[in-house]
Amino acid sequence: MSAEASAEHGHDHDDHHHDLPFYKKYIWSTDHKVIGIQYGITALLFLAFGFFLMMVMRWSIAYPEEPLPGYLSWIFSDEWKARWLQDGRVTGDTYNMFGAMHGTIMVFLGIVPLGFAAFGNFVTPLQIGTVDMAFPRLNMVSYWLYLVGGLTMCASFFMESGAAKSGWTNYSPLANFADGQIVNQFLAGQTQWLLGMVFLISSSLLGAVNFLTTLINLRAKGMTWMRMPFFCWAMLVTGFLLLLAFPPLEVAAIMQLMDRTVGSSFFMPSGLYTSGAGVIEASGGGSPLLYQHLFWFLGHPEVYVLLLPAIACVAEIIPVNTRKPLWGYKPMVWSIVILGFLSFIVWAHHMYLTGMGPVISTWFQTTTVLISVPSVILLTSMIVSLWGGSIRFNVPMLWAVAFLPMFGIGGLTGLPLAFNLVDLHLHDTYYVIGHFHYVVAPGILFGLFAGIYHWYPKITGRHMDTFLGHLHFWPSLVFMNVLFFPMLVQGMAGFHRRWYNGGDAYLSKAAGSENIFGNTVAEWIHLNPIMTFGAFMLALAQIPFFINFWLSIFVGKKIKNDNPYDATTLEWATPTPPPHGNFTFDVAAYRGPYEYSREDHEGDFYPQWEEPKRDKPAKEPKPEPAQ
Amino acid sequence: MADTLEEIQKAQKKYILIGLILFVFTVVTVAVATVPWLDFGEHGFDSKDAVIGLIIASFKASLVGAIFMHLNHEKKLIYVVLVLGVIMGIVLVVLTGWSFEDPIEYGDSVEGDGFYNPAETVNQD
Amino acid sequence: MEIPYTVTARKDTGLFNSKVGIWLFLASEVMLFGGLFSGYVFLRIYADYPWPERALPIVPGLINTFVLIGSSVTVVFAWAALKMREWRRFQIFMGITIACAGMFMVLKGIEYKAKWEHQAVRMDDFAIIEGHAHYGAVMENGEVDHFHTKLEAKKAGGGKPFKTNKILFRPATIDFSVVRAHEPWIAEMLEQAGKRKSKLVTSGDVFFYGHIEDYSGTESDPLTGKDRAKQEAKIVKEFGKAEENLARKFGKNSLYIPAGTPLDYGLIKKARKAYIAGRAHNAETRTAILKENWRRVKEILPEKEYWEQAPVAKIDAATQLDEQFDDQGNCVSGSKVVSLVSTLSFRMDPPQPLVIKRSWIKRPVKAKDGKAELRDDTTLSAGDDQDQGAGLLASPVALSVDAIDFRWMAQKAEEAGKEPMEVIEQSWIFSKDNKHHGDYEQIWKVHKKRIGELEQELADKYGKDAEGKPKRVPTETDRYRVTWQDLVHYARAKKDSLMPGDAGFDELRPKFWDGFAGPNHKDEEIHKLHAFPELEVPHHKVSMQSMFTPKWNTYYAIYFTLTGLHGLHVIGGAIVLGYFLFFSKGLYRRNPEWLANRVEIGGLFWHFVDLVWIFLFPILYLM
Repeated sequence: MSAEASAEHGHDHDDHHHDLPFYKKYIWSTDHKVIGIQYGITALLFLAFGFFLMMVMRWSIAYPEEPLPGYLSWIFSDEWKARWLQDGRVTGDTYNMFGAMHGTIMVFLGIVPLGFAAFGNFVTPLQIGTVDMAFPRLNMVSYWLYLVGGLTMCASFFMESGAAKSGWTNYSPLANFADGQIVNQFLAGQTQWLLGMVFLISSSLLGAVNFLTTLINLRAKGMTWMRMPFFCWAMLVTGFLLLLAFPPLEVAAIMQLMDRTVGSSFFMPSGLYTSGAGVIEASGGGSPLLYQHLFWFLGHPEVYVLLLPAIACVAEIIPVNTRKPLWGYKPMVWSIVILGFLSFIVWAHHMYLTGMGPVISTWFQTTTVLISVPSVILLTSMIVSLWGGSIRFNVPMLWAVAFLPMFGIGGLTGLPLAFNLVDLHLHDTYYVIGHFHYVVAPGILFGLFAGIYHWYPKITGRHMDTFLGHLHFWPSLVFMNVLFFPMLVQGMAGFHRRWYNGGDAYLSKAAGSENIFGNTVAEWIHLNPIMTFGAFMLALAQIPFFINFWLSIFVGKKIKNDNPYDATTLEWATPTPPPHGNFTFDVAAYRGPYEYSREDHEGDFYPQWEEPKRDKPAKEPKPEPAQ
Repeated sequence: MADTLEEIQKAQKKYILIGLILFVFTVVTVAVATVPWLDFGEHGFDSKDAVIGLIIASFKASLVGAIFMHLNHEKKLIYVVLVLGVIMGIVLVVLTGWSFEDPIEYGDSVEGDGFYNPAETVNQD
Repeated sequence: MEIPYTVTARKDTGLFNSKVGIWLFLASEVMLFGGLFSGYVFLRIYADYPWPERALPIVPGLINTFVLIGSSVTVVFAWAALKMREWRRFQIFMGITIACAGMFMVLKGIEYKAKWEHQAVRMDDFAIIEGHAHYGAVMENGEVDHFHTKLEAKKAGGGKPFKTNKILFRPATIDFSVVRAHEPWIAEMLEQAGKRKSKLVTSGDVFFYGHIEDYSGTESDPLTGKDRAKQEAKIVKEFGKAEENLARKFGKNSLYIPAGTPLDYGLIKKARKAYIAGRAHNAETRTAILKENWRRVKEILPEKEYWEQAPVAKIDAATQLDEQFDDQGNCVSGSKVVSLVSTLSFRMDPPQPLVIKRSWIKRPVKAKDGKAELRDDTTLSAGDDQDQGAGLLASPVALSVDAIDFRWMAQKAEEAGKEPMEVIEQSWIFSKDNKHHGDYEQIWKVHKKRIGELEQELADKYGKDAEGKPKRVPTETDRYRVTWQDLVHYARAKKDSLMPGDAGFDELRPKFWDGFAGPNHKDEEIHKLHAFPELEVPHHKVSMQSMFTPKWNTYYAIYFTLTGLHGLHVIGGAIVLGYFLFFSKGLYRRNPEWLANRVEIGGLFWHFVDLVWIFLFPILYLM
């Protein structure tokens, strides 16, 4: 069905909404699907911006003494370049700024909104068979708060102070001093970061309340907890993570905001001295460590907020394209619930070097290793799900399958970091960067790409182009590894993650040099240009995706019917694209989400919404009355 | 929950009573802190006063929760949500406190100030 | 399209949507306040200074507790009234609830105001003085006088009265950063200078090169272009002319400021424009040269490692940037980059005192430095005229003292293994350098005697333990802190010629409800008794000063953060409840059950706010 035709189709069932003006339908929209798309597109743009920042940083690492090439620097104005670049080269300050903002943008403005907010918004209400989110207007407010927060942060690039520059973790007291010279602290990048964060956190909290209420109270008839697709379970757990983990960061942000704007000393120890201002005229008596605890109390669950939506996408795509049920659905559900819980009690493994004693370190080490158990259950279940399936290697499936080993590398490289003795060596090296990026870039991002290719036909009524899809996938797969694998090697050799010139300053091959880094740096510094090459190729590889993404709306292959993949979950029961209010019939779930290749049913799939035939009622579970 | 009208009617008296109890305990908590012959523990403020103050506050808070917020008869789901929130709050305080209370200490086996000093090692050889 | 379960409850969960929503929200609120409470606990337990325990006046907090509990009762009555469909009753109870919220915020405001007006000083020996700052005024002759109140200062004439926690600096010259100079500060300085019949004028001629289009090194090769060299030589020659011909423009952003030009922000803005254009030009030129160098280096030394190429590619300023001369000494090529003027220097004529806020200052101002650096990179300097009285003036913090706190000093003394009492009695406040030292010696004598009596009394009343130590002893706070109640107490006793231990001495003590939100400096009795003595803390003795704001210590920081966030919750809740009261009659007619649900939800939030306060009251006011 074409997009136009289905739009007509939608009108039939939607008598009092078809005359909404454009701005109400697409901008101030309260429809969960439009909001999902808004989130998705905004997040993709932020991801592209974050990627650009990374390319500038990679240039600086590989070619620290050379001016930025024209294709990276054209975006800046002459005045900006004169202020932030030195003879066209990236300076340490600018690198810090880009590094901090790259992390923040990718995590808080890119991946979370794309995974949780975009897919969650679009897919969840469809999968549980309801008309919209529980609080549609709140949903709209969430999106706009997110956008305001994101723009607030990014606007600071153009301020006198530049954007935030104390790392994405924004540790105090470093972050308290940064931009301290700015007269109006509300116009300092470092403060803008905090303000933006308060907006983003508020947005996430409202979103989480909305998702959870929807999942708890709006499930369709017969959609019992154990009939919910795995995707919805992941959203439920993610919602709880956001709900309970974000407030402590909000506390930290508010306290740091107080420190910056009214001069309090929440995170300022007594007697602090800086070269810029001498003995700081502040009361002191605060605790920098408290900031780290409050930050990482969010920070670790946040990793799972990033991860779970991606795993959820993959877990949806695999059964559809293997034509067999998800292997171990129940253990997976329990794993994800336990994973969610455990993620709250592991946070200080980011802080082994803060002087924690052996007892508490052992506690965090133990819980961290424990959390790998549910993660492995999830990954193994999905790998086993492939076994014996008649796999359709369409583009979403490629991404989904590639997700498994890539995320596996990410997960396994994390194990050494869990042990505090090993972490003493690896802390703050490129190994950590390599590990984290393996989880997030080829892991999570692959899962999300899979989701985009998978649900695109439901959103637009057209498939994305397969050739361009391959052109996107294969180079991405290769260059992701070219980019990230050398990081693990460099990290073990002791490359520090914050060297803006990639270790260039530490180069030394002189025998008996005082510089302990010198020799290892000389040995592995050749990897820098290789990784940078990988990064730039990766950028090229995303071009087919952007072309595909925009063009397929108009020229993509039309889908054959509303359920082009012969899938079983409820989102495929709607017209395409789904109209306001979603379903055109009284929707109910009669069975579990992954009823593929059932021997007692003709055809290889048995959708959740299909009413059981009257002649064999005994075999069907009775839909539980929900109303 | 006061579901029917009669129950609501009846509950109103309870609300007044609870309000009065809260007033009384507010006065009690101030008295414990200000009147010398009610001072527990040492003279002046100390940990015992803090514990007593917090116990009274918790008692008052649980009255507000149980009666005004109807937590004495709520649906299961709400308890689940609330308990999760409270558990995570406790986790935050306890684990943070634990790591504050467990700094690196050097046992007797390490001589000196506990910090590794290469110069000393050289001298020992 | 209608969203199900907005009014009626879903069967299996037994809940309507907004009730699920509000409880989820409250769970996250538990985490929010849990985080703040944990902040309070850890800041307090691990504080390295004496935590100000029981520092707040109890009465406003107590009243506020009653107010909030009362409103919690009325909001639940409002809900019950709606359930019984009694609109009038609902209006009354909801009205009371919102009035309570208003009263709560008014009381909070009174408390906050009392703190914002309360000056505190930490001296370099860790003695802490609290009180009300006096006002100063700069007379037309440049003298500075101190007064008790703003009104007195105003009456005495002179400039705008200022609180004595400011810094007075008499600059000979002021250097402004052209990029960063902050407009309101310049305006303030100009206003003050004007009042004192003084002018700010540039000390010398300044010439700004503008952005020179021809130079923009991207168009032609900066290393080889012969034409360029000619052009550059021409421009250099023209520069000579430009100096003679002052009005002549040189490049579109060029600027000439002759000596003696009066300061105004527009001038700085013009200079800023020229500076930024020049900086952009320099950056562009240098980038082009460096790029070209690298291109060459990669051609010449392709086999070398990157770090071996880098030194070769570096810009050689002598040959690549600076003016080039031929054998005869003729200029063949001008400097490729323009020299940047980043500061504008102004003379103050004649030097007059400027009142500078401490928040303007970048680093502590010391008399011997002869300069004050502001956060916008402005530098006030005494110049060579120091002997004529330029530089930092005596800027004492003058105040009427309502509390003296030696606890920190005692703590520091104990840490150093000294006897606290000895250290305290040697402190500056009791020394001859303090011209009011007599008052303080007197107070301290009475205080010590009173604590001695208290010690005896406690020992008599509670006896001794097995080791022979008294079971109860005065606290550190009793011993080392002289509160405003103590001061009033001692002043009253002095009037009646009573000493601690005399009959009737104890009855003179103010009660805990006296002084509603803190010591009242306007109280007639206190005024007559001169209960709050004066003190002038010299500038070099002040290690930190602040109002009782978050800046003063972590206790006030967490106090303001907790109560401020709680106050925001009160305001937010009141707005929502107010919406139900004033704008929901229509909904009540259409669907009263829905409105009742909404009020229930609003009520749940309101109870939560009350519940938070139930904890805030003891931990902030009573502990």
